[in-house]
Parts: sequence; structure tokens; C-alpha cells
Amino acid sequence: MAQDILVRNNVKVIGQGVQPMMFAHGFGCDQNMWRFVTPAFEEDYQLILFDYVGSGNSDLRAYNTERYSTLKGYAQDVLDICDALDLMDVIFVGHSVSSMIGLLASIQEPERFERLILIGPSPRYLNDAPDYVGGFERADIEGLLDMMERNYIGWANFLAPVIMKNPAQGALAHELTESFCSTDPKIARLFAEVTFFSDNRTDLPEVTLPSLIMQCSEDALAPLEVGTYLQHHLPNSALRVLQATGHCPHMSHPEETIRVIKEYLSREGSPHPATE
Amino acid sequence: MDSLLDNAPCGFLSFTDTGTIVGINATLLELLGYSPGELEGGHIESILSMAGRIFYQTHFFPLLKLHTRVEEVYLLLRSRGGENVPVLANALRRERDGAIVNDCVFVTMRQRARYEDEILQAKQAAEEANRLKDEFLATISHELRTPLTAILGWLHILRTRNPTPEKIARALAIIEQNAQLQAQLIEDLLDVSRIISGKMRLDVQPIDPLIFIEAAIESVRPAAEAKSIRLQPVLDTGVGFISGDAARLQQVVWNLVSNAIKFTPKGGRVQVRLERINSHIEIVVSDTGIGIRPDFLPHVFERFRQEDQTIQRRHTGLGLGLSIVRHLVELHGGEVNVYSPGEGEGTTFTVVVPLMIIHSTLDLAQRTHLRLSTLNQPPQIIQKLKGILVLVLDDEAHVREMLATLLGYYGAEVIVAASAEEAIEMLGHHRLDVLISDIGMAGEDGYAFMQRVRQLPVARGGRTPAIALSAYARVEDRLAALHAGYQMYITKPVEAAELIAVVASLVQRASPE
Repeated sequence: MAQDILVRNNVKVIGQGVQPMMFAHGFGCDQNMWRFVTPAFEEDYQLILFDYVGSGNSDLRAYNTERYSTLKGYAQDVLDICDALDLMDVIFVGHSVSSMIGLLASIQEPERFERLILIGPSPRYLNDAPDYVGGFERADIEGLLDMMERNYIGWANFLAPVIMKNPAQGALAHELTESFCSTDPKIARLFAEVTFFSDNRTDLPEVTLPSLIMQCSEDALAPLEVGTYLQHHLPNSALRVLQATGHCPHMSHPEETIRVIKEYLSREGSPHPATE
Repeated sequence: MDSLLDNAPCGFLSFTDTGTIVGINATLLELLGYSPGELEGGHIESILSMAGRIFYQTHFFPLLKLHTRVEEVYLLLRSRGGENVPVLANALRRERDGAIVNDCVFVTMRQRARYEDEILQAKQAAEEANRLKDEFLATISHELRTPLTAILGWLHILRTRNPTPEKIARALAIIEQNAQLQAQLIEDLLDVSRIISGKMRLDVQPIDPLIFIEAAIESVRPAAEAKSIRLQPVLDTGVGFISGDAARLQQVVWNLVSNAIKFTPKGGRVQVRLERINSHIEIVVSDTGIGIRPDFLPHVFERFRQEDQTIQRRHTGLGLGLSIVRHLVELHGGEVNVYSPGEGEGTTFTVVVPLMIIHSTLDLAQRTHLRLSTLNQPPQIIQKLKGILVLVLDDEAHVREMLATLLGYYGAEVIVAASAEEAIEMLGHHRLDVLISDIGMAGEDGYAFMQRVRQLPVARGGRTPAIALSAYARVEDRLAALHAGYQMYITKPVEAAELIAVVASLVQRASPE
């Protein structure tokens, strides 16, 4: 059973540390997006990487329209993996929609987690006039769905394995023909709808664990107002605005991302990273 | 930027991982309505639509960073004036002057985007059609199994019990009724298959509409009586002849009237009216039944459609009858319409078919007779085509070759012409037994050609028996060919047996043995 979950979610466990640190990818990609930051944590933590059902190299047959029609279904993936690996005191690192997925998982089973690190989170992407600025109107999201549909026509070929031209990282040689961010068009569309039409604002006060909100300056998906809103409504949270711009600081600005996470983890009151 | 790149016929953009624009060519600036120097140092998101920004952040950039290149990605840019500009983007991530940059070219695709819209819509329509077919298959298995259950059940009773003579009679009646029901379902299915493959043929003769309408009414009378429904025929006598297939027209009326009975509650009324209106006859079938919702009216004649699940449960059937009705009526050059004031308000179907134009030199009945009587006699036909000279006129080389080969198998000698001019020329030089001509041809068509032939003197082939070949199967097409001077009309695709039989019968008529 546990083995089934690990195959289903394409779970990879690496690192020499003891305390588990779980990296959860956002919408549009898979666990590969973490490859620029994970090396910095391998020595001190046990790193858990995975793909949500429907993304990356997960088992598409396990996709269930009903289960994954809300973010709770995705949160169940996180809890299933924690259970399969018998994880406790997890440091959860979630990007984008995974921030909310992580919050939901922590509300359901708080004892599993130690703290939450949220990169570019948003409890609601749509504007809700007059009091809430999410950044988007419904028509913008429909435009996105249209753009995805047009691009997914040729997606399979587009995502065929390519040779990585990155001489600086010889260690990646064995992964030369790996395919990244592959996705099933129908599932991707449903995931997009769940992501962008969800409203998790009322879940925020129920979170009991400490969290770090990593907010990029100039992020189209999560404007500064959203970061501020979260800090106000998420108990025990700290807001950190990065110099990084865009929505994927762990890909565009890995050094700053690593530094900020490490600072947060070494703050007073937090358990020290275990070393053998 | 060198001038070659600056003025290339595509947009060029270079940006860093942080999204900062470090290079942009004049073509892209102009496309987006900016002045030189305005965008350098700015952020890539400033030239993306809202949807484009999300796509860039969630798909485009992660892929570019991981794959080092992306190809043929559809993006919506945004011009300075706020207008969306659809483009196709290719991007490459590389090291230049000691720094990593992402180079990107954009090709506009305003036209293609529209074309893609159509493809996407067609794809959705195809998926919808496929879904309807799946539902149809589910319905069909249910519908075919229902009568089978009754048949098998009663057979079992007959075998295992010791039934009284009354029970036996009752069982046989039910078995027969259900077998007929199933035969009707299969007939409908075959009709649909003929319609889809374009193989529906009419056996056209001059007919008095009264005959097939009365026959149809008689066959449904028991069903009406069983439900105490009053069946009221109001039929004008002497409305004139129409040219059509009596069996098919009877099927049309039968379908409409039995539908009316099916959807009318006990004690209701079904009226069938026939009258002549100008150059048409009108058959009106109206009932006091459950009616049709206005939003479903446009779909009444679509294949595999039934109003809704609740109706489907109360009323069995495949939802094929009305689509067959429409097709048959249209094959007769007519049309069928439906009207219902709403649910519970009854329904009225109106069939309009044109009256026959009587032409003194034609004898439709005789020709139809000839055609049918010769069909089942292949051995004699083989003999008949020996020593016969046939001219085939068709502007399609493949068709000419196919017809020549086919007729050749049956012993005929064949000469071919690719144009009307060529054929007229050949008529002067050969004593032909039969002439076969295509109707729709580039240049002079088959009608004009035949009119010219019929004006020729007998010695130059003016009376050569002629067969028209056409992909059009409507009655008016047949009539037009006969008026032009052809003796026979064959619809494409040509069936070998039919062609040979028709050629043989024409020769036989021209020179009676």
C-alpha cells in the first residue's frame, strides 16, 4: 500500500539528514522545478520530492475527477505520502497553489508538520471587489485555459525528451534525456480550474502551525496586496518580500531563495537540523 | 543590434531569468506600438496579456529554464494600447557575453489563431457527436434486447409448461409482435446507414399520394384503437400525381402518424390531412399529444436525439424515425417542418412535396419497370452486351477508365470522350448503341450536351439511347436529366449490376429481337 503511494506520486527521497523537508511543486510543472534549490539542503535534511497525481511522472490512472475537483484531494496526496513514509515534524515547502494545499493538509493533520514555507502563495486569485485584490478577473483565467488548450495540441511532441545543454552541470549527464513538466491536457485544465477558481480565505484562521510567506516583488500571480492579506489572516506567519521578481524565485533566483529559507529555519525556537 | 536582426520579419526579444528585457528589435517594438528604447530595462510581463503572464510564469519560463528551449508556444502579447496580439514563440536559453540570456522570436498568428479557433470548435463538435453515438449505442442495445427478452421468455414458457391453446395463441401473438418491432428497429438502422453512406435510392414512379397515405393509416389503426385514439383522415381526392417512391413515402407518413400515436395520451386525437397547395401537396399530421419544448424543436430531426431522459424512459425508440423522415422527404425534393405551441399542447408535422410536371414524351412508369425487371438476370445480360458499342463521356479520367473496363468485362466495345465537343465529334463517326454521360462536368454540362445531341439528325446519332450519370440523387435532378433527353438516370457511386442492366435494357428496347 505504502509502496503504491510512492509509485503513484513518483516520490523521490534524497539527502543525508533526519528531519523531513517536503517540496511540493505548483501548477504547470513537476518536482523538477526544485532542482536548483534542493542541493543546498541535501546534507542537513531528508528531502521528499513528488509529483501530484496528474502531473509529471505520476500515475495518471490514479486520477479521479471527483477527488481532485478540490484542493483537498491534492492535500490528501500530501498526507498519503506522509503516511506512507511515516513522516513527522515535516518542514513543508510549497510553491504557488501548493502553499494552499500544504495549509489544508496541516489543518487536517497538524501533528505531521513542524512548519510551512509558502512560496508565492495566494488564497484566492480572482478579485473580490471591493475588499479583496487577487489580481485576476474570471476572463483572464478563461484566457489562460484557452492558451493552455491551444498549446497542449502539440504538447506531447513539445515535451519530448531533449538534450540538456548545460555544460556547467556535468552531474546531470545521466538525466540528459529526461522529460520535464509533462502533463495530461485534460487533467491540466482541471488542475488550472481548481487552482485559479479556489477560494481558501476562510481556511487561513484554522492554521495552527508557524509559516513563512515568501513574497516576490512584482509577481503577477500574487501581488503584494495578497502577501499582506495573508500575513494578516494567517496566524503565526511571517512575511518576507524577496528581491526576486516573477512567480518562480526557486528557479529564477535560487540563491536568494535558499538563503531566505535557511535563515528562517535557523531562527530561534526552531529545532536544529539534525546531523549524524 | 545589427540592422539585419532589427528589421527581420519577426519579433525578437532577449531577456534575463529575472524577466528583464535586455534586447528588443524594431519589428517587435512596432508590432506592439512602442518607440525605440522604451522597453529596454523593462519587464517581460509588460508586453504580456494577463493570461499570457500566468502562462509565462507557470509554463513558459519553467520549461525554458529546464529544457533550455521551447518551440511553437502560443502566447498572447499585449500592445501599448491594450490590444491582444497572438503570436507563436520559439525561445532559446544560452550564454552570451558571459551572461545567461533567453532569446525569443515571435511570429504573428492573427489569421492562424482564427483558423485554430475553427479547428478547436470542430474538435469539440466531433467529441459531442461521438458522445451522442455512444449514448445511441447504449440505447440501441437496450432497445434491441427488450423485444428479445419477451420473445425468449414466451418461448421458454411454450417449451417448459403445458400451455393451453389460448396461451399458445397469446404467446405466438406476442412473439410475432416483438419480432416485428425488432425488424422495424433493424430496418431503421439500415436506413440510417444508407443515409450516412449516401446509398439511399428511390424507386421513382408517378404516384397518387392518397394511396400511400391510406396504406400508412391502415397499418397504424390497430395501435390507435388500442389507445382509444381517434384517427381522423381528412384527405382531398384528386390532388394530382407526385413522382416518388411509394414505399418510402408510406414510411414517412407511417413514421409521423405512429409517432403521433406514441406521444398522445389515451383518448386523444390524431389528424392526417392531405391537400394541394399551388404546385405542391401538403401532408399534415397533427396530434393532441404531449408537445415539444421550444428549445428542443430545432433538434427534432437530428439523428440520435430524443427530447430527454424522462421522455426516453416513458417512450421507447431510437430517435431515428424523424431523421429518416427528413432525409426521405428531402430526397423527394420536399421539406418537413414541425410546430408545437409547447409542452402538453400537441404537435404538428407538415410535409410538402412538389407535384409532378407532366411531360408528354416521357413514360416514367415504363422505364422504372424496365430497370427493375432486368436487374436479376445477369447471365442474359452478359450475352446482351456482346458486340455493343458504347460511348462514355466523363471529364474524370478515372471514371472513364473504370466504366470502360467494367463494360468491357461484359463484352461491350467502348470508346471514351473527355468533353462534350469530343463526344459530338465521335457521334458523327461511329454508329453507337448506347451513350453514357456524366452530368456535372467542367465546361459544357451533361444537360446541355444531351440537348445538342437530340438536335442532331438520326444519321449522326441524334436518337442514340442515352444514360445520365450523376452524384445528385434528388427527384428534380432525375427529372432535369429526363427532360434534357436522357432515357435513364443512374446515381453515383455506380453499381456494376445496375449499370449493366440499364445498358442492356436500353439496347434491347432500341432494337427489339
